Amino acid sequence: MNPRTRQTLEFVLDNLVWFMLVFVLVVFSIFIPNYFQLGIFANIIEASSVLGVMSIGLALVIIAGHMDLSVESVAALSAMAVGILFCSSGIGLGVQLHPEWLMVPVSLLLALTVGGLIGAFNGFLVVRVKMSAFIITLASYIWVRGLVLVISGGRSAQDLAPAIRWFGIQRLIGLPLTAWIAIACFVVFSLIMAKTPFGRHLVMIGGNETATFRAGIRVNRNLIIAFVLAGAIAGLAGWLLAIRTSGATANLGVGLLFNAFAAVVIGGVSLKGGVGTLPGVYAGVLLLSAINTAINLMGLPANFTQVIHGLLVLAAVLLDAFKQTIRQRLA
Amino acid sequence: MKRILLAVFGILALAVATLTPAFAQSKGTVYYLVPTLLDEFQTGSVTALELFLKQVGYDIKTLNADNKTDAQQSQMNDVIALKPAAIILAAVDFNALKPSIEAARAAGIPVVEFDRQITSTPSDFTSVAGTVEIGHIAADQAEKLLKAKNGSVKGKVLQVLGDPGDPYTLDIQKGFEEKMKAFPDVKIISLPAMQWEASNAGTIVADQMLANPDIDLIFSHAAHLSVAAVASLEAAGKKPGDVMLMSSNGAPVGLDLIRKGWLNVEVEQPLYAQAAAVAMFMDKVVKKQEIKPGDYDVLGLKSTVTKEAWGPNIKIPGAAITKENVDNPAFWGNQKPPTDTVKSVE
Repeated sequence: MNPRTRQTLEFVLDNLVWFMLVFVLVVFSIFIPNYFQLGIFANIIEASSVLGVMSIGLALVIIAGHMDLSVESVAALSAMAVGILFCSSGIGLGVQLHPEWLMVPVSLLLALTVGGLIGAFNGFLVVRVKMSAFIITLASYIWVRGLVLVISGGRSAQDLAPAIRWFGIQRLIGLPLTAWIAIACFVVFSLIMAKTPFGRHLVMIGGNETATFRAGIRVNRNLIIAFVLAGAIAGLAGWLLAIRTSGATANLGVGLLFNAFAAVVIGGVSLKGGVGTLPGVYAGVLLLSAINTAINLMGLPANFTQVIHGLLVLAAVLLDAFKQTIRQRLA
Repeated sequence: MKRILLAVFGILALAVATLTPAFAQSKGTVYYLVPTLLDEFQTGSVTALELFLKQVGYDIKTLNADNKTDAQQSQMNDVIALKPAAIILAAVDFNALKPSIEAARAAGIPVVEFDRQITSTPSDFTSVAGTVEIGHIAADQAEKLLKAKNGSVKGKVLQVLGDPGDPYTLDIQKGFEEKMKAFPDVKIISLPAMQWEASNAGTIVADQMLANPDIDLIFSHAAHLSVAAVASLEAAGKKPGDVMLMSSNGAPVGLDLIRKGWLNVEVEQPLYAQAAAVAMFMDKVVKKQEIKPGDYDVLGLKSTVTKEAWGPNIKIPGAAITKENVDNPAFWGNQKPPTDTVKSVE
């Protein structure tokens, strides 16, 4: 194989998930009535904003060789905290700040703080106390959702303050601002992962923690930061979720964790750690969102949708595995 | 010193005994197995059952199954071992709980079905609004709304179901579609909001408003799904009244949406009456006395007890809530529990 062909093939393999996304969009556009329109593509990007942001935090921890199962519940708790304070109906307290725009940074800070604190708690137990990330974050997944129920009493908060809800209504180049926030997050964290020592160290830690430690890199500190970031980013996802639904219900975000895992894996992040990029994860998120939208438009009987969703995700993962086989042959 | 302490304890004991007559008069403990607490109807049902059962002399304890069938089966087994006066069951899964109901009754513990009807095995009493009937009422309202908008009963309806694994939503769908069959010019698009999650409903509405911009009416199977639907409509630049909306269960958030002009109709589940009916017949259930069929007044609603293959069954009609009657305190969504005391049926 000549170097140019090899280079092209490697480029395709590195970005396979993007090609899959384009392929899927073309197929859906041809076969599903009403799929091919700008509004639907904008919907795909908009609908993927919460899942996308949540997947960033999850990907950081997985790339570092660990796991965070609590992100879904953390997002729900952050959304509920924002909902209770800044919603005016249901259990919302209708807190008003003057000037009104202040509610945006305050609510955002609240969501990030809630998420960051739980992330720090997870990180402390995993990194300092040396407990299994799977067990600790599974426990957090349960108790944090329980806390949502406790503080809400099972009731919902609605009518988010217009100053915050503004992000869900206003559009820039056809996309709501929530989608732009998600895109900005991907750009910023992709740069952090690719261009900063912290990002490179996370990849190294995920690849071989002991070797990284012996190379003089502060493994524990980086890991704790990764957990705090995962929590804070999940808090941001919760903030977006509250904006998207104009409030919070006790079951808000249920099931997002599994979609986030699917997106991360489809996006090429290895569950063993040390491998993966955030642009790939974003493509995975868009792919899932494209599939969901297709299911919404196909009008299938309700009980078939989950099977089809699962099979399409499986197909995407199998294609990814096929990629690994080709890569091994090339090596 | 000893005497003083004894006197203090004596006074305290006397005070406790006189100030808590419920303990002295309790007819026993009833366990309520609630399917989930992540939904306003279910949390409301706990409050209502506690209120009414205390009025007729029972203590009540609630166990939450978190929507897990296996957890509810374990709870049933545990509660059977505690030998309570009765078990009130709102089943996560209608069929899976059948063996547990039979086990409880075999152990001499009466079982009352609440809100979710189980017809495959006998129980001691069933109090339901009728999920299929909720679908029927919703269809009647859809008929009126479409006729008012389009001149005749025609148009496009988006039906946002709850989780397709929950028989509750499937029954509403069944009732709704059963009645809407009479109108062949109405196209119904049905899509599930997985796990009853609001943002899933929001996505469905956003997508469908693009694929089918001529949708006349959106019918969500729970009020909290309508909240997300409204958020999507708002994001798409729609104003109240541009698209007609209906939902079912009568939760507070639904009533708020009616007041704001977004929601046309909320089909209420008569939560207070359902719970009051359980309390009214609890003595008969516990004493295993016959419950006579016929019409009964439950919190002012005419309700009918029938003798079914699965035991005595009370069906309490749901009501359509619109802008005209939204402030009626009888609707549980207004969060004003009835002040009238429930009395046991003699």
